[in-house]
Amino acid sequence: MKILALVLAALLPCLAAGPDVDKGRTMGDPAAPMLFELYSDFGCPACKNLHENVLPSIIRDFVATGKAYLVFREFPLNIPAHVHSRPAAAIAVAAARIGKYQTVSDALFRSQQSWSTSGKVWESVAGALTPEEQKKVQALAKDPAVLADVQRDVDRGARVPINQTPTLLITYKLKQQPWANFTDYSLFRGYIDGLLKK
Amino acid sequence: MAFSKNRILKIAAVVLRVALGVIFIYAGYVKLSEPWQLFAAGIADYEVVPMWAAKFLAHVLPWFEVLIGLLLIAGRWFRTATVSTSLLLLVFFSLMVRAFAGGKEINCGCFGPNELISWKTLVRDGSMLAASLFLTVIAFRNRRKPA
Repeated sequence: MKILALVLAALLPCLAAGPDVDKGRTMGDPAAPMLFELYSDFGCPACKNLHENVLPSIIRDFVATGKAYLVFREFPLNIPAHVHSRPAAAIAVAAARIGKYQTVSDALFRSQQSWSTSGKVWESVAGALTPEEQKKVQALAKDPAVLADVQRDVDRGARVPINQTPTLLITYKLKQQPWANFTDYSLFRGYIDGLLKK
Repeated sequence: MAFSKNRILKIAAVVLRVALGVIFIYAGYVKLSEPWQLFAAGIADYEVVPMWAAKFLAHVLPWFEVLIGLLLIAGRWFRTATVSTSLLLLVFFSLMVRAFAGGKEINCGCFGPNELISWKTLVRDGSMLAASLFLTVIAFRNRRKPA
């Protein structure tokens, strides 16, 4: 009975990951054996570094090859220095609704230093969208459903718990493991390759 | 009275020696049962040693912990084992205090991954350090006055 309860407890987060994935914020094959959930904050410099320098390698080695399904989760930190991170996350989630998540993510990280100090988040990313897309994203960014999506990600991350950003939550064979050290990509790659061989 | 005090110290030393030995073997075993990269990432998170050293330590340290644990339980090379244990715990504890005081929310790395440094882990490792220092004192006291 105790074993059954433990198995069910281990299964719950995996089951929850399935239906709650916004397709606009995913990459790769949903049937891939491994699930990567990237908890990130658009205002965090380490997240910018991951997005621009490490994520392309992760996508090339594991997502494009069908080994992992990548889901982007918003995790705006609730600290004074990151006061604009939540509006940025809302804009990104809104952009995901029209299939422009990556475009807006790239723009947000590229102009991070500017908007994180000035607070002009929208002005920093608007140029990456067409006027028609801008109208849609601006309207969607105020939609309570979009704001709820951001909060849902934050709540989900807090349950893991995610202690820092960026954190890649790896789910493989019902086991979850957060990974937050991306200073040496070969270490991460070795870990994932090792898991996949098991 | 003196005899009973010595006896109590002797019993306490045996209990602590075996307990520390079991804890060290367990700590080493948990790390060895997980992919070494997890421990290497945990060491690197402390930002004290370069990545190549973190990788090296991730391979060596768990085996060293198991060896120390076995020596403590067996009561062999007692002075060497207690000094090694105390030095190791002193380093671990200092790094944990440094990280905690610096506001770093990182994993302790003590018994495998996914255990954040907290007051609980500090008290636990501090207690282990105190026990180890006590055993070191006992080991060298017995050297001067063989029972």
